[in-house]
Amino acid sequence: MKVLWGLSALLLCLNRANAQTEPVPDYLQESFVGVVEQNNRRTLYVHIYLDIPSNDWIRLFQPHLLLTDPLIEAEPMEVYNQTSAVLSCKLTDPPSTVKGHYWMRNGKVIESSKHNLPTLYTEHTLAKIDSHSGGLYECVFLSEPEVKTTIEVKTAPLVSAYKRSEHGNEKDKGVLVCVSYGYPLPTDWKWYKLEGEDKTAITNGTDRYEIKSTPNRTTLTIDNLDIAMDIGDYICDGTSEFGSTSNKVHLRVRSRLAALWPFLGIVAEVIILVSIIFIYEKTRKPDEINDDDDSGSAPLKSNANTDHKNKDVRQRNSN
Amino acid sequence: MSPAPASILRDTPPDGGWGWAVVFGAFISIGFSYAFPKALTVFFKDIQLIFGASYSQIAWISSIMLAAMYAGGPISSILVNRYGSRPVVIAGGVMCGIGMVTASFGNTITHLYICVGVVGGFGLSFNLQPSVTIIGKYFQVKRPLANGLAMAGSPVFLCTLAPINQFLFNQFGWRGSFFILGALLLNCCVAGSLMRPICPKPTGGQLTQTNGTPKRPTTDRSEAQVNGHNTQLEKGCLENFNKFLDLSLFKHRGFLIYIVGNAVMFFGFFAPVVFLAPYALSHGFDEYSSAFLLSIMGFVDMFARPLTGLMANTKWIRPRIQYFFSFAIIYNGLCHLLCPLASGYGGLAAYSVFFGIAFGMVCALLFETLMDLVGPQRFSSAVGLATIIECCPVLLGPPIGGALVDTFGDYKYLYLMCGAVMVFAGLFLFVMNIYNYRMLERERRQEEGQGDESEAEETKLSHA
Repeated sequence: MKVLWGLSALLLCLNRANAQTEPVPDYLQESFVGVVEQNNRRTLYVHIYLDIPSNDWIRLFQPHLLLTDPLIEAEPMEVYNQTSAVLSCKLTDPPSTVKGHYWMRNGKVIESSKHNLPTLYTEHTLAKIDSHSGGLYECVFLSEPEVKTTIEVKTAPLVSAYKRSEHGNEKDKGVLVCVSYGYPLPTDWKWYKLEGEDKTAITNGTDRYEIKSTPNRTTLTIDNLDIAMDIGDYICDGTSEFGSTSNKVHLRVRSRLAALWPFLGIVAEVIILVSIIFIYEKTRKPDEINDDDDSGSAPLKSNANTDHKNKDVRQRNSN
Repeated sequence: MSPAPASILRDTPPDGGWGWAVVFGAFISIGFSYAFPKALTVFFKDIQLIFGASYSQIAWISSIMLAAMYAGGPISSILVNRYGSRPVVIAGGVMCGIGMVTASFGNTITHLYICVGVVGGFGLSFNLQPSVTIIGKYFQVKRPLANGLAMAGSPVFLCTLAPINQFLFNQFGWRGSFFILGALLLNCCVAGSLMRPICPKPTGGQLTQTNGTPKRPTTDRSEAQVNGHNTQLEKGCLENFNKFLDLSLFKHRGFLIYIVGNAVMFFGFFAPVVFLAPYALSHGFDEYSSAFLLSIMGFVDMFARPLTGLMANTKWIRPRIQYFFSFAIIYNGLCHLLCPLASGYGGLAAYSVFFGIAFGMVCALLFETLMDLVGPQRFSSAVGLATIIECCPVLLGPPIGGALVDTFGDYKYLYLMCGAVMVFAGLFLFVMNIYNYRMLERERRQEEGQGDESEAEETKLSHA
């Protein structure tokens, strides 16, 4: 009896919490709702004080609320600097029957990990952990509602130059790009210019340099390229909680007039060939030139020509 | 097809000699015209980054260039009718060169649209039409072979221009490359200078060329004189315009059949080429293997075109060349219909080979059949009108194909559509050409009947 009153009062409390206006019944004296979080698991506590008059009509409600989060045990909680690992999740106290489970990496479902068995334990093996397999892994149990937890797999980030060798035009802009893969991504990027054995740091905003960085990509833009000063190797350096990883990009600056010589060469070749062809035509077959003129005119002229020739033939034959 | 008799030998096309130099010139011009817009795509990725534009905005450059090339057809036809092939090709080469050189100094996309797209496109159209026209003036007996050889320029230039463009881009950047390509395009002027003008065809020829069979010599001279008279009397405005661009072609039965069939065909012609590499990529092959399929196709195409020309020249096929053309189109369509069945890289490679053969066959015969239908005299106007009408399906085909791929998410439907369109076009041309050949046969018999009568009259007069 007391349990039933407690449950109905609990429903009333939660209804109030959902901003539904209902008249407070007389018997409800006091209630207290609280949430405690422990080990990633929340528990809802409700205290109700009732003063129940006797012989009143009771309405019964069927509560359908979750009082505690289901317990998932993830093993291990975090993978740090290991070459391989086995991630596992165990679900105790499921909210409903489990239809299946799967794993996700960085929010994308891993197709091969999908299972439709109602087991409460799932495993995912990472045979080789590198920057491409690191990330946020989630094991998801298909219950009503879905239950999941996260395991962080951390590796040293991979820093690579987008293009090993970049080209720029003199007095134009030169852009050098480095990208990184892995989890966690570098938080801090630095650029250096390599001169012989020494590195000189490049600061954003000085001289003609501009550095734009996001965790997975950094761009060094050099304005007004100079052939003497800007050719050489540049180093991009990404720092994360593992330390720093760097890579090298080579910059080549082309002179403005570089394209001019081949251009002039080809133009000269064209002029020479065209002259040769026209001169050959004029010297070898001068009689055909006369007929070039009537390429667009009416056929009458050539017709006259034919008749003239035919007459010649006839004359010779008659002789 | 017997050669014309000795009395008008001087005016028949040489079918050799300097003609082969002209074929070489046409080879260069046609090569640049068809291959250049496609080879430019090598630069697009980096121009896109530098100008900060979307891929579709950049792709417009190629589209505008192709559109200008096809739309400039009638204009170049008029110019060729007036001035002959040589000056037009040289002017086209200069235009292309200037267009590319000015484009290299551009800073906006619009600048590129105008310089490369419009100016370059029109320059290329001034190269394409005259080259095709002049082959008809230089060749009669060996014309299909000459056409096949000249059209082979397109795959050869595509295969050479693509790596050259890549090399130029690595060495000089896109601006330097455009600058140097402007100079390369000036080689079209060399091609143009090879196209020595030739006497127009004999007036008797004007009547013979409607179906390619020669008429008897005795009637030629009398009709030639009558024609000469007629050309003197033509005075009206429309008639004068017809001298520049022969609009009476729209009443020509063969021409109408040709443009209807070809307009339908072009809807499905280029889309499979454009989507071959993405189709291979979608099957999971890497970029290089996918690009290699296109190279296979281009390589096979290179040889298919002259071989088709050679085959079309034989005495069995030449009189029925329209049927051969329809067969080539249907074969093309069948290749596309069977493509979705190809599995694995070997299957796709086999498809590329067959497609290369089919593509080459159709391209080699494209202008030859038009010449066969309308005759070399009216060919230059015909090709101009045909290209501007074909402009629409050529430009709409790949985007429609792309839309099909996007809506269904599968390339299968694209290939089925293209295959169906081409088979339909081929069958249409086949059936209509049966009709056309029959009508031509009937007309020829009627004229021969009249010719017999006038011969009998002449003999009567000479006896009297």
